[in-house]
Amino acid sequence: MSKPSDLTYDAVVIGAGHNGLAAATTLARQGKSVCVIESRDGIGGMARNAAIAPGVVAPKMAHLLYNLNPKTLKELGITAPKSVSLPTVSLADDGRHVVIQGDLVIYADGSAHPEAATFAALHKRLTKFAALLGQMSLKTPPSLAGGLMDMATLQELAGLAKLGIGLKRMGKKDMREFLRILLSNAYDLILDDFADAPLAGMLAADAVRGAYAGPRSPGTVFSMMYRLGNGGDVRLPMGGMGAVADAFANAAKLAGCDIRTGCGVAQVIVENDTARGVILADGSVINARSVLSSIGAFQTMQMAGVQHYDTEAVRRLRNLRNKGTVAKVNLVLSGAPDFVGLDAKLTAGRLLIATSATYVERAFNPVKYGDMSNAPVIEAVIPSLSDPSLCSDGQHILSANVQYVPYALAGGWTPAARQKLLELTLDRLEVYAPGLGRLVTHSEVLTPLDIETQTGAPGGHWHHAEMGIDQILTLRPVNGMARYGFGIAGYYLCGASAHPGGDVMGTAGRNAARQLLKDGVLA
Amino acid sequence: MSAKIKAAAVPMGLIETPFYPRLAALSRAKSWIGWAGYISPLVLDTVEFEYFAIRNQATLFDISPMHKYRITGPDALAVVNRLITRDIRKVRDGRVGYAMWCDEDGMLIDDGTVFRFSQTDFRLCCQEPMYGWLMDVAWGFDVVVEDESDSIAALSLQGPTSYSVLKDAGLDVAEMKPFDWREVEPDLWISRTGFTGDLGYEIWVPRDHALAIWDRLWAAGADWGLRAIGGQALNMVRIEAGYIAAGVDFQPVHAVMRLHRGRTPMELGFDRTVAFDKGHFNGRRALLAQQDAGQRFALVKIDIGGFKPADGALIYHRKRTEVGHVTSGIWSPTAKRNIALAELKAPFGISVTTDLWADVYVHEEGVWRHKMVAVVIETKPFFANTRARATPPRAF
Amino acid sequence: MGKHSSYDAIVAGAGHNGLTTACYLAKAGLKVLVVEKNDWIGGAAVSRSLHDGWTYSNCSYVCSLLRREIVRDLELPRFGLQVIPYEGGASFTKDGDYFAYMSDHDALRREIARHSSKDVDAYERFSQTVIRQCRFIRPFLLRNAPDPTSLKPRDISELLFLVKQAHGLGAKELGETLRFWSMSIGDFLDEHFETDLIKTHIAGAGIIGTGLGVYSPGTAYVLLHHYMGDVDGAIGAWGFARGGMGAISNALGAAFEEAGGEIVMGSGVDKFLVKGGKAVGVALENGDTYYAPIIASNMDVKRTFLKHMDQGVLPADFTKAVERFKIRGSSGKLNIALDSLPKFPAAPEGATFMRGDLHCSASLNELERAYDDWKEGYWSKDPYFDLLIPSQIDPTMAPQGKHMMTVFVQYAPYDLNVDGVRSGENWNDATRKAFADCVFDKIEQGCPDIRKHVVHAEVRSPWDIENEVGLTEGNIFQGELTFDQLLFNRPIPGYAQYDTPIDGMYIVGSSAHPGGGVMAAPGANAAREILRTIGKGKLMPKFAA
Repeated sequence: MSKPSDLTYDAVVIGAGHNGLAAATTLARQGKSVCVIESRDGIGGMARNAAIAPGVVAPKMAHLLYNLNPKTLKELGITAPKSVSLPTVSLADDGRHVVIQGDLVIYADGSAHPEAATFAALHKRLTKFAALLGQMSLKTPPSLAGGLMDMATLQELAGLAKLGIGLKRMGKKDMREFLRILLSNAYDLILDDFADAPLAGMLAADAVRGAYAGPRSPGTVFSMMYRLGNGGDVRLPMGGMGAVADAFANAAKLAGCDIRTGCGVAQVIVENDTARGVILADGSVINARSVLSSIGAFQTMQMAGVQHYDTEAVRRLRNLRNKGTVAKVNLVLSGAPDFVGLDAKLTAGRLLIATSATYVERAFNPVKYGDMSNAPVIEAVIPSLSDPSLCSDGQHILSANVQYVPYALAGGWTPAARQKLLELTLDRLEVYAPGLGRLVTHSEVLTPLDIETQTGAPGGHWHHAEMGIDQILTLRPVNGMARYGFGIAGYYLCGASAHPGGDVMGTAGRNAARQLLKDGVLA
Repeated sequence: MSAKIKAAAVPMGLIETPFYPRLAALSRAKSWIGWAGYISPLVLDTVEFEYFAIRNQATLFDISPMHKYRITGPDALAVVNRLITRDIRKVRDGRVGYAMWCDEDGMLIDDGTVFRFSQTDFRLCCQEPMYGWLMDVAWGFDVVVEDESDSIAALSLQGPTSYSVLKDAGLDVAEMKPFDWREVEPDLWISRTGFTGDLGYEIWVPRDHALAIWDRLWAAGADWGLRAIGGQALNMVRIEAGYIAAGVDFQPVHAVMRLHRGRTPMELGFDRTVAFDKGHFNGRRALLAQQDAGQRFALVKIDIGGFKPADGALIYHRKRTEVGHVTSGIWSPTAKRNIALAELKAPFGISVTTDLWADVYVHEEGVWRHKMVAVVIETKPFFANTRARATPPRAF
Repeated sequence: MGKHSSYDAIVAGAGHNGLTTACYLAKAGLKVLVVEKNDWIGGAAVSRSLHDGWTYSNCSYVCSLLRREIVRDLELPRFGLQVIPYEGGASFTKDGDYFAYMSDHDALRREIARHSSKDVDAYERFSQTVIRQCRFIRPFLLRNAPDPTSLKPRDISELLFLVKQAHGLGAKELGETLRFWSMSIGDFLDEHFETDLIKTHIAGAGIIGTGLGVYSPGTAYVLLHHYMGDVDGAIGAWGFARGGMGAISNALGAAFEEAGGEIVMGSGVDKFLVKGGKAVGVALENGDTYYAPIIASNMDVKRTFLKHMDQGVLPADFTKAVERFKIRGSSGKLNIALDSLPKFPAAPEGATFMRGDLHCSASLNELERAYDDWKEGYWSKDPYFDLLIPSQIDPTMAPQGKHMMTVFVQYAPYDLNVDGVRSGENWNDATRKAFADCVFDKIEQGCPDIRKHVVHAEVRSPWDIENEVGLTEGNIFQGELTFDQLLFNRPIPGYAQYDTPIDGMYIVGSSAHPGGGVMAAPGANAAREILRTIGKGKLMPKFAA
């Protein structure tokens, strides 16, 4: 199928994660010839399935879908796999587990939660604000190049102005509230209205999911809202996250993209300050009129060569904050575990160990000093309960995100350190599911370092770059490079470190491809 | 308590250069200024005589406070070419090149001289501290950057008899062309460079050889009118030669509060030092963009009528619109002209070059007067003499 | 029954901001009364004589932010105010080394080079960035924060001013400004420096007075807040007020009385009196009642509305917003009388940097861990402190040959955790002593003999500061300086221009824009608002932007 290499593609895309595939599909659907290069044998990046034991398919890293934008899917011609919406269960030490689904909250035993109305009100408020922010995720961040009084800049700012108009429509009161909380910290916002218990813990944990931040860190309300950008629904795809990646890949192929796996890009060819193609690890050359990179921003720079970047740009990229804090623990179970106080439906839900906002903040403390949390925040899901096709012989797979775990552990990631992480995770789970440990027949621990090694995600960070206020919008990935174009003409950043950032949604890739077209690179 | 270390206190205030004992002995004016933390003479005796010594005899000026950095390693050439705007590949081994370097917006960080030992070994000599910037520029490249500012002592020997002084000191530089650079004796490097527009050399030695080379030159200079000078006389001749000074004729962009007050090489009239065809270098994209959009300012050499120095004078177009100001201005004792460097806002100095006026203020015995004086833009240096470039040099 | 009388305006609280408002109003011809609960004026800018012969600036202790426009308008030097810049500072390590900040620029470069040659230029880059940010922010200090939800011409013109200021920056700088405002001081310093000791010396300014850690986003702004002051235009310079911080309040008080104002001390406000949605007066704790159509509260916003006003007169939304305004106690203070100048053995004899701010913290992680302790309700086991000996420069502070030391300690919680119970009541003589011991242990790192020199020491917890001065939780800024509480959000969105839901009632203290730090800017800005509202705006001097 693939074209002979003496041909020149319109675009080469580095990396076949969802953003790379989304970028490729966007271009191909505009009639451009596109080749996607993936260094690993399979596509999907962090959204992959792995057969980790005989008869057991696990979601290797990412395990749930948030924020998948229906508009993007439609635009790319992606038929998303079937998925089910999962309730979130915030586990309680006293057994009064809290179940959250959308804006509803009850106790796991079916009784009413005293803070249900407060939660519904907060959820409504945040969702409204989030929708407003969500509008910005599909646009290229504004350029400030001409200064604020410049006409071109003002047109750029029209997108923001729309946000302003949206704000005005909300009314003064909401607008003021939006401007107040936008940059504030989740801990205060939550505890202003909620008792510091599992419901507050859930809110706090979701505000910092994947982040190098505790709920007390200013800016965490933004990430809370970001997660609600498309309603905040948590969905489990049937067939695992691999099925989602396959859907992206199928759409790309359908649009006519070539996808080559198993041999990565060694270097981007730059001639006269213009990207001309890539050289693969095996020495073969692919010529192209443009190159898009879905790997980390810093790595994207290195791929072309530091010498093509101004010293300040290099400095900014070196200083990019991208320390991953989440480890993945996959446990193969010989049978379904029994969580005390949860029925089968809830056990199949998203199980959260975050018993209070303070618990989450305490879990964050050690990672600042290179240690792992002794009492980590855990987001666990047992996909095989909802999707039996994943496991045979009554086996189950428990997939857990364990936070906070440092990328650079003091003393290094020795076998003993990994064992400690596994035991910590099991100990926490055992509190709510006594006997779970005995069901474990096989386990896999992926530290942030492993995630980096296996996917290339810098720092093992889910979003390739921390989603802090200092690294969003016109500052993402770094000041002066927020409009996807990456210094060299025809070279574009299309991964999660570009606006609007991470989560399996493909928006960064889609936006980058559209900006490339708009810039006239392929005209 | 036994493990406690006693920190060595750093010296406060200005410190001595390696040549200070000789300078202190010669100083009658006791007119010292701070230069990069060192004590430097503004005037040793009399500005007037020091000036004429540069143009008539030979002079010694202590340039040890200049910042000096050594860049060595396999990628040294790549790093230097990434740093500066001109193409260092075109400067041969044993040659020196005048260079400018810019930030990402194309704004000048500093100018200076690059001494090429080989393609893996360079020395950069400049006015502003640059170690931090060089470390950043060199990041990702296989080079070592060493700060030699304190370890290398340097003298500027300038003037028509400077070649004769060196010759009598037993230093053979007859074949050295302008911008040549040689190790004339072990650990004694001489470059045919300077800041005067005249015949002249710069001498570079390890710090502890400083007084020996001074004494050797001083002895040899007795018959050639050798004189030690301060910075004020030097400033006069560099304006005559049309050379720009950091912090005076342009503001090094790393030191400005308002970044738009930086200037590009084109805005300073140094288009020829920007080699767009050499591949990427710091500021290249911004400078290309400015080439399209046009420069904002032009630094020009001007002749101001009358006899009154016009340093700092505002420049007007048609005597009405303020269009710029004098950055450096003196009465030239050699040219017998009132000369200056001035910065004009575009298009003045570029497409509009006539009907320009300097508003000159003169203070005489407690009385201030001011008048509009016609300004003429000059394209050539105010001082030029064939002896400056003759190889082998003439005796005087 | 107590006294009753009427005024044009009453200011509740004789802190520096209250006195500033009072001065401007009195100079505009209003009949103004200031009421103060203590027997002295000054609030947190006071000089107290608590041990015979010694003067303590026992709350705020250094001065930089006091706006020169205000000093000039109110002619404070004529009333004895003299601010003297101090020289440098130092951080001492456990192993006997130090990093000294020198006012002599060449010496400073050598001192940095002693620790790292790379950090020398990094320091220049750092300070250029900070000064650029200061230049950007400073014009806003004496202006109202624009209300972005408003279409009023005044708000629009303030917004345009903001745009104009931002325009002067250029694209990259604008980006860097946005970034600077949202970063942590720890990350910012990590980007510049490699020497932890140098980073730590600078980082203190990012946390002083706040309930944030050095790695909390937003602390770079807090550093700016401490750097944006000046002494005679030298940006970032700090100084001592001759005679202690009370000299500022005393000068303001004298200026006020000369302008015809009246101060009543010794009894605080019990209730702000409101009738038909309008402020009408104040009832004091001693039963006296004073009436005026303009009431300016120098108390923080929580104290004003939650403690001294009937809840019925306030909109419920407003009360809720006041309740969630964050004012957290995070610092304590030791004021110490010394029998002689104590030796810091690491410092060279006669080192001028000893006349500046001294510290014994050596790593950013140490500061961050100090914050972690505080979050749990404990004072930092390994605390950060800002220690000065003003008597080295100001002879009025201690008897001849003796000295006065002020030690600002971060962090100390308001609601101290004892056996899992968190309460301000846990601060008692025993816990105060334990806290002081912890601080003395740390001072010994730089000054081993310190305990031998102590003649008298006053230990102040956040709880004590609240009880004496009236600052909620003893917070020095009358409200956290986080982005959700700055500019148009300070103190309450919709009420960020010194006004309140009660007609004629104003907030003039540091709870209001631009916040705390003995700037007197909130007091002056509030006076401008008050005069504008009553149609006397022209009587307010214009501040140069």
